[in-house]
Amino acid sequence: MTTSCENIEIMSKLRSFLNNGDVGRFRFWFQLAAFVFFIYGGYLYIDLGNSLPTFSCPFNADGKPGVCYVYAIQHQFHIPWGQIISWRGLGILTGFLTFLAWLLVFNKAWCGYACPLGTVQDWITKLRQKMGIAYSTYSEGGFEKLKKVKYILLVLLLLIPLGMSNSLLGLPKFSSDLSVAFCKLCPSRTVLPVFTGDLSQFHIDFSTRTSMVMTTLGLIVTGGFFVGAFVKKRFFCFFCPMSALHYLCNKFAFLRLTKDGSKCTRCGDCYRACDVRIKAIADDVESTNIVKDDCMMCFKCVAACPEKGALEVKFLNVPLYTSTDEGFIKRQQKYSEEEKS
Amino acid sequence: MSETPKNQPGQDRLARMQKTVKVHHAMEAKKALLVIEEEFPDNPEGMRYFYDKLRAYTEGKPFVPDGKKIVGTLCIHVPDEIIYAAGAVPVRLCSGAYASDQVGAEFMPAKSCPLIKSTLGKIYLDMIPDSVMIVNPTTCDQKRKFGEISGEFSDKFYMLEVPPTKDSEEAREYWQRVVKRFAKALEKATGTKITRKGMKAAISKVREAQAQYRRFHNLRKHPQPLIWGKDAFIVANTYFFDDIDQWTKALGWLNTELEGRIASGKSVGKPNSPRIIMSGSPSIFPNMKMPLLVEQLGAVIVADETCSSNRLLYDMVAADESYLYDMIPAVADRYLKPCTCPNFSPNTDRERKLIEMAKTFAADGVIYQAFSGCQLYEMESRRIGKVLESHGIPMLYLETDYSPDDTGQLSTRIEAFLESIKVRKRKGAVV
Repeated sequence: MTTSCENIEIMSKLRSFLNNGDVGRFRFWFQLAAFVFFIYGGYLYIDLGNSLPTFSCPFNADGKPGVCYVYAIQHQFHIPWGQIISWRGLGILTGFLTFLAWLLVFNKAWCGYACPLGTVQDWITKLRQKMGIAYSTYSEGGFEKLKKVKYILLVLLLLIPLGMSNSLLGLPKFSSDLSVAFCKLCPSRTVLPVFTGDLSQFHIDFSTRTSMVMTTLGLIVTGGFFVGAFVKKRFFCFFCPMSALHYLCNKFAFLRLTKDGSKCTRCGDCYRACDVRIKAIADDVESTNIVKDDCMMCFKCVAACPEKGALEVKFLNVPLYTSTDEGFIKRQQKYSEEEKS
Repeated sequence: MSETPKNQPGQDRLARMQKTVKVHHAMEAKKALLVIEEEFPDNPEGMRYFYDKLRAYTEGKPFVPDGKKIVGTLCIHVPDEIIYAAGAVPVRLCSGAYASDQVGAEFMPAKSCPLIKSTLGKIYLDMIPDSVMIVNPTTCDQKRKFGEISGEFSDKFYMLEVPPTKDSEEAREYWQRVVKRFAKALEKATGTKITRKGMKAAISKVREAQAQYRRFHNLRKHPQPLIWGKDAFIVANTYFFDDIDQWTKALGWLNTELEGRIASGKSVGKPNSPRIIMSGSPSIFPNMKMPLLVEQLGAVIVADETCSSNRLLYDMVAADESYLYDMIPAVADRYLKPCTCPNFSPNTDRERKLIEMAKTFAADGVIYQAFSGCQLYEMESRRIGKVLESHGIPMLYLETDYSPDDTGQLSTRIEAFLESIKVRKRKGAVV
């Protein structure tokens, strides 16, 4: 009896320690560690395979500890129809299942905690804040349209390699210079290798017309990435086809973000904190699973919620981090004091 | 406020009215405080601070917050944080005095809301602290017209445009712009520039007060009520005009005392006293008629959903980036989004809030006060009653005003309601 009482007491102490904690600070250090891992892990001969649900970029040739699934899937879909029912088709399937397995465990937290390109954007945001420059906002209608781009990119991502091996709708096969077309545009290719001293991706390939167009576009996108990230938080993520793929596992994943609408006052403090502007986090009082397609599971919303038990992070139904008024006040007052000193 | 009111018969009459209303007001306050302090057992020691503050305030003792400028506010939509950041102190002018009610009635239809009439009367008679600005949020119809009429007596009026809805992104953006403009106007009125540091300190200062208020709020959930609801109203009412740092400290002491009550097993009311939530039109001192009646008749008000108490202090600001470009919109959001004022349509948040409150405070019923003439509360009562009923929470709707005339009739109805709750409780206990 006494031991169970003690256990309960220890558990409640642990809970309040966690709930009073600052997930933002934890995340900052976690992201830094993940960044080091995904940029330099390869030098330690780490190889996690080629189904990683995050931008572990193959163009960072020596440093990558595994390969981004978006890169892999473009290669795998470069397949003639006839070979789909074969060992190659099986490869696609196992690759996909591995990808799902990664996702199943950490859900969209790959974006908020692991993705090196996301981390770079967060650092750019920090830089903007240090300079005291205001972020810019979206108009609601425009934003809704913008968010759809990633699904279009996802479809193209799969169609282009198929169109390289097969004739789609009677069209001639696409040039093989379109190989990994998305990667040619993705800012990871240019930005991430820089951290291992490789600036070689900053060039225009004049060998063929297609290559020239793609590499030029890639450089333009890279420019847009920096400008975008500076004025808007996580700007690139709204276009990220990986983010669209992540949404597959949303309903089954072990790591979850849940909401108890009856406890929500719809004060909007969570929406203010949300870097990807998910309005439902504040307004939706019906859904329990509150992870939307743009969510990166950074859990800033939980930290910004002043209502006890309204938002909760769970792993396999075990609460890890719950919103509380006590924790909210502690964190907010700490931010205020940091400035005073 | 020093200029002579225009279009008025004569200075003599005004002076006479000022004199009588002041006397009557002081009498009302004295009477209310007598009941609050003497007729209830087990008032916490820590309440003395708040009683004394109210007494001094209603006796018209000069209110000097270390020589700072005063900004009068007339609703909970006025962002206190921005006023503090502009180097001034907010004083909420909403009045609960029956004495000035009749004075206000000279300028508004007889059936108008007593809160509006009473406040208007005080403004007309110059019974308010000398303010550099009086901020009137355009919430309900009466509030808007009241603002226009009051503008005839004072050139300090500032209309703060509150949108009639809060759910849409358009309303939110509009309100943020309104608040930004208000901040500029404040800077001009006080002569102090709002800085990043000042804003941050102001948010933190108000949050400290709210942190104590939350602690107080949570203490009231205790299964054995630790404090009377009338005292909770008094605590919040004192916040209207008190020095915020002193208020926060005093509430901290009171909270500690209440926590001590948990340890010593001391509580107010009887073990079977019905636990009541007050909702609707705000009780503002000295009009404590309703909470006092309810508790004199044997219930304990464990929570409230009114703009003179809970709604005033409960919700807190959270800025994501500590710069003016984010802090001011964050403050604006706090005064719009969670607000459950019936001037917003739709106002489903109010239903959800009451249901959740009834659950977390283990309440037995809701007493819904509507001031006659306060159309929005009157009109919302039906739906609120229905929703509460569907969750098994009985509600008593009571229409009243500032006059003491209806006390007898109200007592009968409250008594019957409380009796029915007690019967329900007994039956529940048997089953």
